[in-house]
Amino acid sequence: MRPSRFLSLVTFRPVRRGFGLADLVVLCLVGGTIAAVVSFAREFEAPLRQAVQIDLRPTALIRYTLFSLSRGVAALIFSFLFALGFGLAAAKSRLAEQLLLPVLDILQSIPVLGFLPGLVLGLMALFPARNVGLELAAILMIFTAQAWNLALSFYNSLKSVPDALRDACGVAGWGAGRTFRQLELPAAAQGLVWNGMLSMAGGWFFLMVNEAFRLGDKDYRLPGIGSYMSVAQDQGDFRAMGLAILAMVVMIVAVDQLLWRPLVVWVEQYRLDETTGASGTRSWVLDLLRQSRLPRRAEYLRLRATRTARRAARMARPLARGFEFVRPALQVAPRVPRIGATLRRGAVVLGLLALGAAAGIGVWRFALLLLQLKPGDWGSLAEASGLTFLRVMGAVLISTAWALPAGIIIGRSPRVSQALQPVIQIVASFPAPMLFPLVIVILARAGVGLGLGSVALLVLSGQWYILFNVISAVAAVPEQLKEATSVFRLSSWATWRGLWIPAAFPALVTGWVTAAGGAWNGSIVAEYLVAGGTLRSTTGLGSLISDATAHADFPLLAGGITLMSMIVVGWNRTVWRRLAGVAQHRYGMTQ
Amino acid sequence: MSDAPVLLEARGVCQRFRLPNGQILEALRDVSLAVREHEVVALVGPSGCGKSTLLRLFAGLARPAAGTVTYRGKPIEGVLPSAAMVFQSFALLPWFTVSDNVAMGLEGHGVPAAAAHDAVERAIRMVGLGGFEQAYPKELSGGMKQRVGFARALAVAPEILLMDEPFGALDPLTAETLRSQVVDLWRDPATGVNTLVIVTHSVEEAVFLASRIVVFGSNPGHVREELVNSLPYPRIERSPEFEAMVDRLHAILTATLLPEPEPRAAATPSRLVPFPRVHVVEVMGLLDHLLVRAGGEGQVFEIAEELGVDYDRMSAVVKGAEQLGWVTTPGETVRLTPTARDALTGDAAARQAATRERLAQQPLFGRVLAMLRESEGVLEDEELLADLTIHFPFVPADQLFGTLVEWGRYAEVLDHDPAAARISLIEPVLEA
Repeated sequence: MRPSRFLSLVTFRPVRRGFGLADLVVLCLVGGTIAAVVSFAREFEAPLRQAVQIDLRPTALIRYTLFSLSRGVAALIFSFLFALGFGLAAAKSRLAEQLLLPVLDILQSIPVLGFLPGLVLGLMALFPARNVGLELAAILMIFTAQAWNLALSFYNSLKSVPDALRDACGVAGWGAGRTFRQLELPAAAQGLVWNGMLSMAGGWFFLMVNEAFRLGDKDYRLPGIGSYMSVAQDQGDFRAMGLAILAMVVMIVAVDQLLWRPLVVWVEQYRLDETTGASGTRSWVLDLLRQSRLPRRAEYLRLRATRTARRAARMARPLARGFEFVRPALQVAPRVPRIGATLRRGAVVLGLLALGAAAGIGVWRFALLLLQLKPGDWGSLAEASGLTFLRVMGAVLISTAWALPAGIIIGRSPRVSQALQPVIQIVASFPAPMLFPLVIVILARAGVGLGLGSVALLVLSGQWYILFNVISAVAAVPEQLKEATSVFRLSSWATWRGLWIPAAFPALVTGWVTAAGGAWNGSIVAEYLVAGGTLRSTTGLGSLISDATAHADFPLLAGGITLMSMIVVGWNRTVWRRLAGVAQHRYGMTQ
Repeated sequence: MSDAPVLLEARGVCQRFRLPNGQILEALRDVSLAVREHEVVALVGPSGCGKSTLLRLFAGLARPAAGTVTYRGKPIEGVLPSAAMVFQSFALLPWFTVSDNVAMGLEGHGVPAAAAHDAVERAIRMVGLGGFEQAYPKELSGGMKQRVGFARALAVAPEILLMDEPFGALDPLTAETLRSQVVDLWRDPATGVNTLVIVTHSVEEAVFLASRIVVFGSNPGHVREELVNSLPYPRIERSPEFEAMVDRLHAILTATLLPEPEPRAAATPSRLVPFPRVHVVEVMGLLDHLLVRAGGEGQVFEIAEELGVDYDRMSAVVKGAEQLGWVTTPGETVRLTPTARDALTGDAAARQAATRERLAQQPLFGRVLAMLRESEGVLEDEELLADLTIHFPFVPADQLFGTLVEWGRYAEVLDHDPAAARISLIEPVLEA
């Protein structure tokens, strides 16, 4: 009777006899996953070898790719757990909501990469003998690129569950656990899957830095696709670079086909609104799973196991009878008295105090660090910020110049957008920094230096956000509006000016916010990089942060991060937010 | 019936909510109501009068801010196990099949698996959904969905069935069938359902179902009047007794919704009352309708029915027209005033001009115009919103604001610039 909906991934179809090809494939996949997990765990055990030797042979690359993938998946699992915890806390408690939402808002707009040195050193100190510290630091860095949008999505889903449905579960006598499993989690499933997809892509962005990271004269390296690429770049080995890019693309396509596509199709059933909206997405993997006999077999075994367990419990009952007399004591004794309201309030206050104290200590230590900066340092910080600001804005402008028209052309035709969506998705998932050195070498041949060339790199970091947002907004324009423009014979230019651009504008602003954020983050690797075997850098806040990291100049590093965080958050709060308000008000589609 | 034991009782209940903008909304104030065994109690009244809030309190889904809610004399703590609920929006889980949805409450009620299976089967048959067990809600029509809602409630064989506008989202034909089925279910001892409490917006529905009708007033919600309905079941609509009962309830509701002006109020016409949240076209529609009626008048409820508007909305429109001096409401009648008749016979521009004239005399508009003149014709949105919140703490200020702007724009006395968040007076009025 108990509907275990989360197992219905393997919804049963009419039985097919025999051990089919599908089963073989499923077995191989399962085996591969286990092997990857085991070897990853062994890697954890390996003693810390500073500056791990990266093997540039193609055969080693397969192993490296699996390592990188495991890190991404591990981080994604942590991100999901974090999102669940965060969303529940913020949706259920007013206090937590008021505290957590602003924190998230800031976390998602600061350059987390700057915290890598501190993180690595701290975790290395915790696990001195093993690679664990370094691995954890890498996973944590990927996590910081994945977690925030997932958490926001889950929180929003919880908030938008209709009150009547909650009441219905309440009247049915469902506890919090069951309501979570069968109402809240399914209601949030679509958002979680789509955002998980975005998160995974975002997580790859700093792969190279996370896996091959220099601090002072120390060289911290983890075996992975990112470090492979970075060694290949150091040595100027173009064949290895090409191979790494190929491996990355294969990994992205494989994850998309094997994980995301099936999930996207599967969560179609968990939608609260009743618009059928069959997106037409299909997944051969899910079809395969549904046709395969193995999952059926597994379900059958599970049923048998529960039945056996139940029978065993029944047989044990006479034995239990002997102990019946102690039962009241057992049931009464371990029960924890209900925590009184005052006690709970006290706990909340204590928790807030602890939080405040921790924050206070943190600020104090940070201030001490900043005080070591010389007045001249502040001057160079200001100059660097100005330059990077100009580059970021230039990159946003250039991205808009191509992505707005392209997005409109793609978005207005359902046929084109459906055909191109998967391609764009994969291209956008590719971590742009891996291409930076190649682009810079090409630009240098054409006589463009890094000062201007880094703008091109920032475009690579942020452009997709604009494109995606524009496509989805234009695709959502009601059919009747499109028809009205053709009935009234609007000229092509008038249609663009009167319909497409205004309709895309609110989404364009959202795209600008994320694109600019991506560009600021990207500047850390775009203004200071090894290309064609030489280290190149240009004045800017990003290169200042990278340089401070490379020379272990912690006060300057702290100053750089603080300044960048302040600029990004400040600009978000003033310019972008106001623009978004105007856009929504003037050009929002909802009336 | 009045000596039957009391099942549910609310005593001195108050309930408050915090709106997203921080305003506190008082939903119920000092409400006392007892529901006895084997009663069918209908709760009627304007929207926002706290009927649904009271229903949720009875279900144990919320606790009152003050006062007590008891079941058989004991305070209700947590969800009341002997009650089930039917929702206006059906509230079915879209990823559950019909039988999964119907089985939702059984486990929580401690029904063993085998018995649960039978209970689901029986409940589904009872509402005539046999054969649809494995269907998903999205495959069903609205009426079918609500049958699932009823089956889910009946499956737990509840002593009390709470219904929150259960027919509100259904088309009239489906609603009619389901309504008579509810009476049958209640009278059938096999269902175990003993007592019904129903929130409704329809006068006929209340008279058809209820043995007692409780009329609520709003701002804040309170009990206005109770009406015992002793017509024998099953009731026949269109019978003289039924019609008489409907008329009585109409009269009570009109008195609640469109109270006769107090004599004192006439002497002080500048007393500030909020303008009802009605659109220009709604009021114009009512006036046009009255114009073609004999004598330019009609019964409020008759007109509401003819125009297909619920009485709650209708009374708001009538109030709006009355505040502008275009209708009078002696008793349950709405009657066009001579000024309205003159204005209406002209063209669109004449109507606008007449509206401009009337608005200037409406106290709230008069105040807004005065504020605008004082500040040289331009006012920040914030200022007006603050002023409205102070004067009408129980009315959402932004909605009232929207209504004022709509009417002001129609009459061409003021304009609103959303980008600058500013209201401005239009020139000719400024000079006047």
